[in-house]
Amino acid sequence: MTLLRGFLWLLGFQLLGQAAVEWLSLPVSHAMAGLLLLLVWLLVTRRLNESVATASQALIGQLAMLIMPGVVGVFFVIDEFAGHWTAVMLALVLGTFLSVLTTLWLMQRFMPGDLVSSETQEPRP
Amino acid sequence: MSGWQASIPNGPILAIALTLAAYLGGVRLFERLGRPSWCPAVLIGALLIATGLWLLGIPYRDYQRDIVWLTLLLGPATVALAVPLYQQRQSIFALWKPILCCLPLAAALAACYAVAIAWLLGAPPAVLASLAPKSVTAPLAIGIQEQIGGSLSLMLGGLLITGVMATLFVSWLARLLGIRDPRLIGFTLGVNGHAIGTVRAFELGPTAGAFASLGMSLTGVFTALFLPLVWRLFGA
Repeated sequence: MTLLRGFLWLLGFQLLGQAAVEWLSLPVSHAMAGLLLLLVWLLVTRRLNESVATASQALIGQLAMLIMPGVVGVFFVIDEFAGHWTAVMLALVLGTFLSVLTTLWLMQRFMPGDLVSSETQEPRP
Repeated sequence: MSGWQASIPNGPILAIALTLAAYLGGVRLFERLGRPSWCPAVLIGALLIATGLWLLGIPYRDYQRDIVWLTLLLGPATVALAVPLYQQRQSIFALWKPILCCLPLAAALAACYAVAIAWLLGAPPAVLASLAPKSVTAPLAIGIQEQIGGSLSLMLGGLLITGVMATLFVSWLARLLGIRDPRLIGFTLGVNGHAIGTVRAFELGPTAGAFASLGMSLTGVFTALFLPLVWRLFGA
């Protein structure tokens, strides 16, 4: 029951998101607007009810399974992009390398004080 | 289609059963292989589905139409991401300054590098649009794709490759640069490698895991809000 009640909450916020997107013609998806509305609601009421926590934990645990059907398509669109595979692979591999390097550098630069404090060291597994 | 294939049931139930079986099989195989970071369970599962479709003689289009019954759950699952964000509000508020300085730049560059490289190599707009959300967690990326266009499958494939590459590069570069702070490594994994990076970060420890989910959620929200706007501005 807790799970179902939480699920209904999530659906409710997605519907609210849909209404907001349609009404203001925002360039975001319905679910994305629902996420933001739920976050605002949680921050305002400062109380996370148990059913929402249960349902969200259950759904987030299944994210990998839910995105899998979309991934299957990769094996079927190869022809569509046959001429661009070099560009795609280079963009993904080189682009990811550069962005990882940039993020590490930026974070290191902006939080230097926190970096060396001993309390943040945790035993390595 | 003839012979034994004709008597095989089809429709949404078969599509869902095949997907669940492939997922469970993928996870089992993943564990058996010793949880390799270069081959996530999702990829194994997707390969199993593709094989299953081929064996059963089901056209991909039919599968795509039937599986909507299951993937509809991506909507509420996306809304659910508000909960971990809310639960981590304290760490977000505590580190708001470095996060606020780094995140927009890091998230924007993650998209820009890939789009720029592909553009220089002469890729068409549909490919560029598919690559732009590459560091965003899948449910949000699907929302972005609905807004800016491009191929859903290419985008999800790009997401997958990005996640795996980010995991490899973060471990490698962190060692090279002598970075050991779990918060920084976790955050970088989440920002660049979305869910795949986050799973990896939880293997490194709870602090890295928490910061990875933070990086993943913030990158996702930031990109989902701004990428469609920027895309529209440049009229791509």
